[in-house]
Amino acid sequence: MAGVTLRGVRKSFGRIEVIHGVDLDVADGEFVAFVGPSGCGKSTLLRLIAGLEEPSGGDLSIGGQRVNDRPPAARGIAMVFQSYALYPHMTAYDNMAFGLTLSRTDKGTIAERVRAAARQLQIEDLLDRKPRDLSGGQRQRVAIGRAIVREPQVFLFDEPLSNLDAGLRVQMRLEIAKLKADLRATMIYVTHDQVEAMTLADRIVVLNAGRVEQAGTPLDLYHRPRNRFVAGFIGSPAMNFLDVVSEGRADGSVRVWLPGGVPLDIAVDGAVDGAVPPAGSPLTLGVRPEHAGLADGGAGLLATILAVERLGGETHCHAALEDGQRLLVRLDGDRPVAAGERLRLNLRGETAHLFGPDGQRL
Amino acid sequence: MSGLPHSSLERQRRRAAWLFLLPMLVVLTGVAGWPLFRTVFFSFTDATLATLDGFQGVGLDNYLWLMRDPVWWRAVWNTLVFTVVSVGIETALGLGIALILNAHLPGRGLLRAAVLIPWAIPTVVSAQMWGWMFHDLYGVVNAILMGLGLIAEPRAWTADPDLALPVVIAVDVWKSTPFMALLILAALQMLPRDLYEAARVDGVHPVKVFFRITLPLIRPALMVAVLFRTLDALRVFDLMYVLTGNSRSTMSMSVYARQYLIDFQDVGYGSAAATLLVLVLAVATVLAVTLGRVRVDAGR
Repeated sequence: MAGVTLRGVRKSFGRIEVIHGVDLDVADGEFVAFVGPSGCGKSTLLRLIAGLEEPSGGDLSIGGQRVNDRPPAARGIAMVFQSYALYPHMTAYDNMAFGLTLSRTDKGTIAERVRAAARQLQIEDLLDRKPRDLSGGQRQRVAIGRAIVREPQVFLFDEPLSNLDAGLRVQMRLEIAKLKADLRATMIYVTHDQVEAMTLADRIVVLNAGRVEQAGTPLDLYHRPRNRFVAGFIGSPAMNFLDVVSEGRADGSVRVWLPGGVPLDIAVDGAVDGAVPPAGSPLTLGVRPEHAGLADGGAGLLATILAVERLGGETHCHAALEDGQRLLVRLDGDRPVAAGERLRLNLRGETAHLFGPDGQRL
Repeated sequence: MSGLPHSSLERQRRRAAWLFLLPMLVVLTGVAGWPLFRTVFFSFTDATLATLDGFQGVGLDNYLWLMRDPVWWRAVWNTLVFTVVSVGIETALGLGIALILNAHLPGRGLLRAAVLIPWAIPTVVSAQMWGWMFHDLYGVVNAILMGLGLIAEPRAWTADPDLALPVVIAVDVWKSTPFMALLILAALQMLPRDLYEAARVDGVHPVKVFFRITLPLIRPALMVAVLFRTLDALRVFDLMYVLTGNSRSTMSMSVYARQYLIDFQDVGYGSAAATLLVLVLAVATVLAVTLGRVRVDAGR
């Protein structure tokens, strides 16, 4: 088993740099998810670690060894591709055994390893079938099995579940979680689905435009996003952002004026100390839909409901504030609300975030 | 739906289908069916070009004569040698060129277009061009080889019985390799890149990747290409006729049939040769499709 270390890793395609110097430490046995919007460079970063792309700069080590110049097969990695990349003319067994047969591993060992992986993935009955006779979920298992039999130090997953339908995705997500517990190997997992990242990963790396925006545990990212991008990316439905005016800082918190002249005190970390803008300057307030409740009394932020989406377990209210700013509020499933109604909202300062004009959290 | 053959909708659809097929059936019958039928019919008669209306049935006489003619067997042998050698070389070369064109080279598009030029030139034109290049007195081939000191005196490339067939094969390879290369290239480009990346992660040697992954996956398309070229090569006519005329050392079955039909005006006998050629083609196709498990639709 081994950790993965990236130091100032850059990648350019021609004149366009897509990875702008990434520093990252993945500990031995850690499950790290790379998330970010399309084109953020998360797959490229994974392919750099795999050795399918060559870095244009920086150092890449696996298990303490610099691997920049090593071919993929000599890096102790195994990769599971989004398209599964199974050899269509080989049976599931041959697909899993192919890499081993060529490295002249003894036949008995190969059979043993393939059977063990097949048992683990519950595909023992499917080993004689070719990929075209397997369902999407079964193909994915074979692809994972092919990675397991290589007994790699590091598993790399490139959006492994995005070709599956929703139900199967949840099931495979649980299986990957089980695999993570069983194998105790280092795993790096690329996904655009933040739910997958939140549920599977020990640590999430949020990427945007070739840079690491923030790396941290799922709850860390949820509760203490470093900037507006991470705040908006992590959490579903996404965080609301409102334009507010600062009244200045006092006692570790900042008071802002919400539309309609409602004041709100928001605790600030001081992590980005000295960056608090003076009174009167515009800021962005971030409130998660689940943290915007209904006010008990007559006080609170006045909002008009534009539309109501009932999901059964919860209700999503799209509302407009007095100055026209939009806000999504998540309420209980059977809360009696209707479009056109006026509500008083209670945004609690302790769960809200403030972002400066540069997008950094205060 | 097909379980109700007498429903009016089903009948209507059948009628529409036949209606759409009719023009093609009429044209095919006129341009392929009727001439083929006439050829087979004449092969059992003593018709000549001059007496196409007055002939008598002679049963299998023409075929029996054909079986006893060493020139015919020489033509069969020439055709088979030509087919096996030229298609073999074209397949190997075409595969190599396709693999090169499939790599990410600068100017790949231009290269691809350039490769196709020999295939685009009409055979008669390129055969005549090569005929001049191989000319024993004024040909550029002799000039170059003598200039390089590889041969001491000019060779009569197309007249020498030992050289004529190799020359014809060489010209065919020059002309038809692009066809092979492009068909194989099309198959190569259908292969997903992921497979090759998976193989790299698996640490498979590039040579093994070719034999264990690339070749099995392009096999269906490759077999179709080989079948097409084989059928083409078995009925080769223009190359031999332009380069070497009716010379026995290169005479193919088609050249033989044409010689009897036109030069000797023996329509009956020539038709018998042509009919046998069709039979050989049919047998070759059936063999290739069954033994090679070729799927003519080439899809998966």
